[in-house]
Amino acid sequence: MNKLKKIAPELSKIKKEQPFGVPDKYFDDFSARLHHRLETEKQALPQPKNPFIRYLKPALGLAASFTLIFMLVYWPVKTFLPDYLAKTNTFIESTNEDDAFRTFIEKLDENSFFALLQEPHLNEETINGDFNDEELMSYLSSNISEYEIYLQSEN
Amino acid sequence: MENDDRELISELKQENTRDLAFHRLVKLYQERLYWHIRKILLNHEDTDDVLQNTFIKVWKSIGNFREESTLYTWLYRIATNESITFLNSKKRRNLLPLNDVSDYLMENLTSDPYFEGDELQMKLQQAILKLPEKQRIVFNLKYFDEMKYEDMSKILDTSVGALKASYHHATKKIEEYIKRSD
Repeated sequence: MNKLKKIAPELSKIKKEQPFGVPDKYFDDFSARLHHRLETEKQALPQPKNPFIRYLKPALGLAASFTLIFMLVYWPVKTFLPDYLAKTNTFIESTNEDDAFRTFIEKLDENSFFALLQEPHLNEETINGDFNDEELMSYLSSNISEYEIYLQSEN
Repeated sequence: MENDDRELISELKQENTRDLAFHRLVKLYQERLYWHIRKILLNHEDTDDVLQNTFIKVWKSIGNFREESTLYTWLYRIATNESITFLNSKKRRNLLPLNDVSDYLMENLTSDPYFEGDELQMKLQQAILKLPEKQRIVFNLKYFDEMKYEDMSKILDTSVGALKASYHHATKKIEEYIKRSD
């Protein structure tokens, strides 16, 4: 206060009181009015979502995006370029036949493979694995000894 | 006091005790914050709006309060920022330059039906209004509230040295204004 008197004597003469007033019972009612406004604010706030939906939402969004992209590409191609799709499907089928043949060859052991090469009377059906039990038994008995069959089954 | 505040903060952060704790907080700080805002805005209606905004903001952000400062300085900081935001919105609405809101505040002061001071006090308020915004807040906090510079520093995010200098300059300017207007 003494310091204030030194640097600002005129100011220090003025009563250091709050010159403002408030309406009657303002502070008594304030809390209730604030509570009312807070309730309004709470209702305006977005409600918290179900946590299950919250976690599922990104996955669903991703799935929907992929579906949309697929539809955007597939539908115009199917509508405007039907020949292109038909060619693509033929190619896929031939690829499947090649795969089946490759699988059949891979399953053959070395002895069976050379035996098959030496028998010119075998038709395509036999190569594709389309033979019955009797034919198989006769083939095995004529080409492979019992000992070899035993060794194969042991492996 | 600090222990009470810590307990209050803890209750405010818990869902089941929040409503009651918030009611206590409002009752505890409403007057102090009101007068702080009123000295910045001068008009009762504006102060009432900003005080409500302040408490709404406190309600919404109490979960983010990291307790690095005291509850009291945190509340004052929010109230100060809300008051400045309010004044800035007034400036924008009335297309005023960003540093000039003194005419609006002077009108608030002279037309305020709740001003109960004498002529000298009116002169003091007018002198305070002539100060730049931040200097005005510093002067009010020190002169009327006798707040510590350390607390002011946390509220206004300004160094203690700068605050002391600001208060000194404000006092000198006010003294000059009072002398000239006699």
